[in-house]
Amino acid sequence: MRPEKKTLTDRRQRRGDELSEAAAIERAKQGDAEAFQVLYDMHKRRVYSLCLRMTANTAEAEDLAQEAFLQLYRKIATFRGESAFSTWLHRLSVNVVLMHLRKKGLPVVSLEETTQGGDDDSPKKDFGTEDVALAGSIDRLHLQKAVESLPPGYRSIFVLHDVEGYEHNEIAKIVGCSIGNSKSQLHKARMKLRDLLKLQRAEKAGKA
Amino acid sequence: MGALRDLRQETMAAHDKSWGSRMVSKRTVKVIAIGVIVAGTLAAESKKEYHFAVGSKAGVSVMNPYGSIWVRPSLNNTVVVSAILHSDKVEVDNNQSGNRVDIQSHLLPGADSESGRVDYEVLVPADASVTLHSSSGPLHAEKLHGDVTLEGSTATIDVRDVSNAHVHVKTLNGAVTLNNVQNGHVEVDSLSGEVTLTGVNGPLVQVVSTSGNINYIGDFGDSGEYRLTSHSGDIEATIPEWTSADVSARSVRGEVHDDIPLQPKFHTWFPIRAGVAFAGTMGRAAASSTVVLRTFNGKIHLRKRSEKQ
Amino acid sequence: MNCIELEESLVESEDGSSREQRAHLSACPACSGLVEELRSIIATAVELRGSAEPSPQVWNSIEMVLRQEGLIRPQPTPRPALSSFSARWGWARWLAPAAAAVLLSAGILLYRASVADKLAQQVSVAAPALDAGMDDNDFLQEIAAQSPQLRPVYEDNLRRANEYIRDAQSAVNEDPNDAEAARSLMDAYQQKAMLFNIAMDRSLP
Repeated sequence: MRPEKKTLTDRRQRRGDELSEAAAIERAKQGDAEAFQVLYDMHKRRVYSLCLRMTANTAEAEDLAQEAFLQLYRKIATFRGESAFSTWLHRLSVNVVLMHLRKKGLPVVSLEETTQGGDDDSPKKDFGTEDVALAGSIDRLHLQKAVESLPPGYRSIFVLHDVEGYEHNEIAKIVGCSIGNSKSQLHKARMKLRDLLKLQRAEKAGKA
Repeated sequence: MGALRDLRQETMAAHDKSWGSRMVSKRTVKVIAIGVIVAGTLAAESKKEYHFAVGSKAGVSVMNPYGSIWVRPSLNNTVVVSAILHSDKVEVDNNQSGNRVDIQSHLLPGADSESGRVDYEVLVPADASVTLHSSSGPLHAEKLHGDVTLEGSTATIDVRDVSNAHVHVKTLNGAVTLNNVQNGHVEVDSLSGEVTLTGVNGPLVQVVSTSGNINYIGDFGDSGEYRLTSHSGDIEATIPEWTSADVSARSVRGEVHDDIPLQPKFHTWFPIRAGVAFAGTMGRAAASSTVVLRTFNGKIHLRKRSEKQ
Repeated sequence: MNCIELEESLVESEDGSSREQRAHLSACPACSGLVEELRSIIATAVELRGSAEPSPQVWNSIEMVLRQEGLIRPQPTPRPALSSFSARWGWARWLAPAAAAVLLSAGILLYRASVADKLAQQVSVAAPALDAGMDDNDFLQEIAAQSPQLRPVYEDNLRRANEYIRDAQSAVNEDPNDAEAARSLMDAYQQKAMLFNIAMDRSLP
């Protein structure tokens, strides 16, 4: 529902109504500061959240989001609109983050190859959380905390697939692993998240 | 300080009352999304009201150079903006773009701090992200669990009963009060305004001030990182004895007092000299928060909260 | 299909909808609980997309770099008659000192995870850029031109912020390995950047 009376003088309003993404891209190519900011405002949450979930570190995520947008803006003159702008930006952001993780020596894909065993770091064995059921819906913030606790290798696949919606074949290309590996890592990531969420509930119940 | 706080509370109480009477007329509004102009008691004063239907996690921003903005939760997925315009030298621009609502006071030629004043009451879904800007304020947000960003120049800023959200505050001279913020990601930057945090917990609670005093009353909970720093303001933290925290405090030229026994730490980044610095652990170290208190010219006081508090 | 095989099968068929899976799940509450819980995780995961807001500092840093690299170029946009928020574009020449402040902060932020001496060195090198009195005077003159009554307030704020910077700088000079001193210097510059930003951006009528 919209108000009947609208006064079209607000700069933000002009930005939202008149400056479409395509127009903003064209104006950004001409060096228009406002257009750059409009594009940033449109995509900042998605890009920053991706960086934050992948790194679990606010400072790193801010630096990486900044780097992703700068890389994009430096190349914006070459954007011809064959693919969606958002797809281009998100793929570029993923690459910036993965490059960063590799530079830090962190595994982008977990080295564990099997779905059985190798789960010695799984919290359920240490804390006896088997009996706590995850009844009801899962809170976003609890899941967020659990994702932060995942080992980096599992975290990347989980974020790319379940949060960002990439398919296994795309993930395999992006991170350089097999499709089967992507599937098994994703399953293990979810199982670990389940354990971590149970652990959270058990700790909460213990406090209460 | 106390007088200032009293004055602020009086102002807020008066504001509450005033808005209460306006709420009655709002009930009569049956049609969603219309602007209503009500003749005010002053010839030039007018009231406008806007309704927007939004989804979950909406974004709401209000930019208002002069005047107050109060934000409270609405009962359903609507944003209701009530604005009192103090003259015809100011207009309210509004826009809804998808799940985002932007409101701005638009000053016309000749407007000043009196004639350009608009007072807003904004009801938003509790999970909305809210951004408020006003030079003079005051700014107030309560009972929300979406992110809250407030920025003012001399505006007093009051945020209460917010949970699971980012709370970002920037002000030059206005006093900042945060009350009952749970599981927050709190960042307060204040140049000279006093900052008071009561019952504020979360993974990150950070206050940076140049000359404002900082008061923290709470328990440094949630195993978070707490940094309270000022250049020339005093820092006072009042906490219960059972607080679990790793505390380091240092005043470069002022004084440091602690009423609470700490297990001393010997490896610190600054020389421990009685009266200007202390560092130590209190409570169960395993689940503790990290607390850094630092000032150059001010005093630091770590107080034990009495059982009555 | 037993419980172990069921869990293994979820790698390929995560929703438990194959015939064999359904047969096992109908008879095994533990496994159907597991599948339900995984479904909940998958459903909630989508909510994490775009759920976090970057600090305003990120855009400030991007904008400064874009200007520095010449990607943002002056536009022939007429200044509106009177609008506090659009006034920022009329203040474009103020971007220089503010840029210094914000860039400096960003520069420091990039280094905050590094060792303290590197941090301190970074800060020490960049600090004179903001200490230039010219910038401050120009800033205050602009304030006076826009809103004369606000000049004393901004002058006082500016003096305090500069004192903070000086003291933090001394602390860094005294002990370049003091990470907390370096952090204070960053805080001090951010306070000054905030002063410039609020004046420039939106708070001045």
